[in-house]
Amino acid sequence: MDKSLHVVLMYLLVHLGLIFFLYPNDIISSSDEGQWLPIAIGLLFHFVLVWIYMKGLSFFPKQNIIHIYSEMGRGFAIFFLLPVFMYLMLVNIIGVRAYSEIITIIFLSNTPSWAIIILFLSISGYLAAKGVEVIFRTGILLALIFIPIIFFVSIASFQNVDWHYLFPLIDDDFHFMTTPSYMKSFSAFIGGFLFLGFTAPHLTYDRKKVLIAAALLIPFFVLAVYIPVLTFGQGTASRFMFPYIMTVDSTYINWLMFDRVTMFFILCLVTFIMLHLSLLLWMAYQIMNHWFPHQPFYSVLPFTIVIFITSIMIIDWKTVERLLWWNSFLQFYVLLTIPLSIYFIGRRRKGRT
Amino acid sequence: MDPFIKELKETFINSDDLFLHEEEILDVPVFLVGFKTLIDFTKTKVILQKYRETAISSKKSIGELLNEIGEVKEKDVKEAVSFLMTGKLLIVSNNRRKYVVIEPVPKMLNRAIEPPTNENVLQGSLSSFNEDIETNIGLIRKQINASNIRAEALSVGSEQKTKLSMLYFGGQADKKLVEKIRSSIEKNQDREINNLQNLAKALGFSGWSVISKVNTTELPSETVAFLRKGRVALFVDRYPFALILPCFLWDMFTLENDRNYPIPLMASIRLVRIFGILISLLIPALYVALVAVNPEVLRIELALSIAQSREAIPYPALVEILLMLIILELIIEASVRLPSTIGPTITMVGGIILGQAVVEAKLVSTLLIIILAATTIANSTLVGIQNSLAVRLFKYVLVILASIYGILGILGGIVLISAYFASIETFGISYLNLNYAKEGTKYG
Amino acid sequence: MRTIPVKLLIILCSVFLLNGCWDTKDINHRSLPIVMGVAMEDDQYNIHLQIPDPGTDTMQVRIVSETGETVSKAVDKLSADMESRIDLLHVKVIVIEKELAKEGGKDLISGFMRAREVSPKALVVVSDEEIESFFSNLNNTTDPQGTTLFDFFDKDAGWSPQIALTRVWEVYRSIHSFTRDVALPIIKSGDSTVIDHLGSAVIKNGRMVERIDEEETLLINAFHEESTHGKVEVMEEATVLIVGNTMDHKSRYIDQVPYLNSQLHLKVVLLETRGNPTDKEIRTSLETQLTNRFNEMFTKLQESKADVLGLGQYFREIPREELKKWRSEHYPKLKMEFEVHVVIRNEGQLKLGGD
Repeated sequence: MDKSLHVVLMYLLVHLGLIFFLYPNDIISSSDEGQWLPIAIGLLFHFVLVWIYMKGLSFFPKQNIIHIYSEMGRGFAIFFLLPVFMYLMLVNIIGVRAYSEIITIIFLSNTPSWAIIILFLSISGYLAAKGVEVIFRTGILLALIFIPIIFFVSIASFQNVDWHYLFPLIDDDFHFMTTPSYMKSFSAFIGGFLFLGFTAPHLTYDRKKVLIAAALLIPFFVLAVYIPVLTFGQGTASRFMFPYIMTVDSTYINWLMFDRVTMFFILCLVTFIMLHLSLLLWMAYQIMNHWFPHQPFYSVLPFTIVIFITSIMIIDWKTVERLLWWNSFLQFYVLLTIPLSIYFIGRRRKGRT
Repeated sequence: MDPFIKELKETFINSDDLFLHEEEILDVPVFLVGFKTLIDFTKTKVILQKYRETAISSKKSIGELLNEIGEVKEKDVKEAVSFLMTGKLLIVSNNRRKYVVIEPVPKMLNRAIEPPTNENVLQGSLSSFNEDIETNIGLIRKQINASNIRAEALSVGSEQKTKLSMLYFGGQADKKLVEKIRSSIEKNQDREINNLQNLAKALGFSGWSVISKVNTTELPSETVAFLRKGRVALFVDRYPFALILPCFLWDMFTLENDRNYPIPLMASIRLVRIFGILISLLIPALYVALVAVNPEVLRIELALSIAQSREAIPYPALVEILLMLIILELIIEASVRLPSTIGPTITMVGGIILGQAVVEAKLVSTLLIIILAATTIANSTLVGIQNSLAVRLFKYVLVILASIYGILGILGGIVLISAYFASIETFGISYLNLNYAKEGTKYG
Repeated sequence: MRTIPVKLLIILCSVFLLNGCWDTKDINHRSLPIVMGVAMEDDQYNIHLQIPDPGTDTMQVRIVSETGETVSKAVDKLSADMESRIDLLHVKVIVIEKELAKEGGKDLISGFMRAREVSPKALVVVSDEEIESFFSNLNNTTDPQGTTLFDFFDKDAGWSPQIALTRVWEVYRSIHSFTRDVALPIIKSGDSTVIDHLGSAVIKNGRMVERIDEEETLLINAFHEESTHGKVEVMEEATVLIVGNTMDHKSRYIDQVPYLNSQLHLKVVLLETRGNPTDKEIRTSLETQLTNRFNEMFTKLQESKADVLGLGQYFREIPREELKKWRSEHYPKLKMEFEVHVVIRNEGQLKLGGD
């Protein structure tokens, strides 16, 4: 059945969750001026990879990447899927840990982070055990409830913008390419589309619509970096851990009965992240299930326990940052090899028939 | 005496409302057997008399006459018992091997068609279903004059037979869905259906689902609208509701009767209901979260007045709200239980004692009373009692999560509830389906 | 399926146990200070907090004070001594004593931004008198809600256009910005009114370097296109009420010298006249009055090298390395042309020159 709407909304939600937290800081600290250039390069990567990935997948209707690789042989499947599995688990661990820490930094300073991790894992574990269709449908409901709030806050965050900070527009050297923080920023650009290859045969989608969704994300990628820069200036914005959240925090809305709209904004994004985590868990389950067929419950539960224990063992934010940095290599490996290999396998198979 | 009669008598040994009336039809002595409580005997006899007279004038034999007025059956006690139970009259002659089942004039044991008692209708057709399954199907046929309404009769139960009827629009309803319902009922032939839990079991649903998977309505006009959108209606004899399958989230907010208003009004009424579910779910949780965990979200003026209203209250916000919510549930439950003549007492006691005295005694804050009132009122805007009951339950999940995690807990709870909604499927059709009618027509 | 109720029971029990695990305090067990006063006393911060204390029927305002090496230390000490925990989340106004402002409050502001306990939206104000006496006077005159000081600066309540309105995040931005400084309102407790507004303190790099008066603050607000609606201007010929203002800027950067032409468009309504001035006379008089006032202020600012007007923002095309030296090298060289254009929107119920 064609479920383009489901996939498109999921695509939007997953990326929105990724865009607003760590990514603005990564971009701002990678380049002093003309931030549009790193953003544009990142987006270019995003579009090219997504296009290649979907093009490659379109050679295999009703097949997900697990089927595709295992058709090529057992060794092949292990070679490609094991890194993916490791990547999924690592992203899950880092995600759970990082976002629980973010929440304790921004508010809930009294709540221990293990309690927040439990909340994260139990909700996303529940979702993952229910299967992909439930995750996508939940995505629709969440989009209906929360996207208006996101929009409202993004518009409100323009309140203190000073357009003069837009200048200087051009940064003539490309030194940002080599900074670690720019590497890390790629988790927002390319960290969210892997699920497109897992949804078949449960859900199918129109490739064009996914690309439109990716295009819809461009303003968010730009705003998340530029609103802090335009409000505070590069010099100040680079001193913040979460520049965008600081910006939202500095907006003042007289007529609202709530004082800190930031909290609602952040938490809406956090729900999107929960959704993303559940998707990651489900993908990990799919890979496991391919080798050892079993009920989702029996793999999601151990996964969540493993993730819980590992993320408890990460004690400070420094370690999280270091893990993010290590993960960016694995991420590049996985997110470059998977789309490209799928594309070439598809091309070859098409050539044969 | 005929052994057959004897056996019948033994079966109903202590049932004094069974009558065995000796009569002569065309000079043949027969027994008329039936239940006094189900059969209007006098009127039935008058009719029998008429038959006899015409038979005498046209000189028919007894065999011909009996063939004409009823169904001739072999003597089988088990079958005869079930005929008697459904209110038929048996004519048994002593020395024949056969007996005749005739349709007597029944005792009037049904309500008349009345205005609905569970659903209020504003500016719409008022007749509602009653306990008799045939009346209900008749009401549907009356409501919509269409030849493609299919009414399939089914019956379930090994000991007690329950009549079931499945109605759908031929060409409109998904054939696979109809087939699935039919087969799951047939599979569960020997289950007895006394209530909706039994029916849910018979349809193969889990009994632990909070959201009821069948939508109930007692209005023929609503039922017809559902049928027209390709849904299936089940009727259970002696249950004055149509059970609509499948059931969707959107049904919580829509009534067919809304379409009797202009579109802007209809849209705003439905918007009010959406606010209703949001308010009744969120406000109590928000109170707990803002008072106990995240007071910084409140504006200072509001924070101070809440702090003032909670001054000297001896327990945490969670206990306070749970206490009052439970008392409120008790009031609601009590006003359902009580006869309508004493009902207002509860309202008064609840309103005055709780609203006024509890606050003055500094047991709960004034704000909480306002919140409870808003919650209860908002909850009642939802369509369908079973839906508002479910929402009432979900509210507690959010309250508890909010007491632990504050606003994060509320939003986490929303994710959880959304996930729960998303995971509900009836016969493979998602609960969140919005345009089922459109998809349904594809199967035409 | 029998297990479901058991599971539910376990979950419920654990929930109630978990609930008391970390200390979430109900709102009535928290003290929510609205105003925080900070002063420096021999290397120790002296903190004053104005806390509304909700009683059952009345609201009272308390002032508490404590000293400590850092703000958090002082607040922590206070918290320990008080019957409820202090929550700085709702602090709306931060009053800094003038002496501390002159010394520099860089660390103070960074601390506020880092801990996130104090909202970055809190207003920063400089007190012209000692913090001790300021608070004790404030307490005598303040209303039972304790929000007087906050209302004084609230745009929906007591704010007027000659008061500078600067929040913590703006001060923090100015510390790290190359091209922008801020003005903080200077207040002291008044005799008949709660607060006397004395003008603004010019803060450069977190340090107070100059003082400007109310009228000049109005020009700064107008320059930032804050609404100056409601301000009354008195001239020799007439008194007018400002009802609207917009700004236009043209900047050029020639031979290392920045030039800026700024035009202020004012819309005014006539309130009172003295004698029989013509339309034109009133306008020219207002224009010269404002231009002179601006030029005077600008010279003063240029001397102190503090860019309260944020003029550097109009020269962002200067390369970043150069821009770092904006305050020290380019700003003093800036040639500024300030023009005022006045439109008298109406003359009220009477015709001009009619009486």
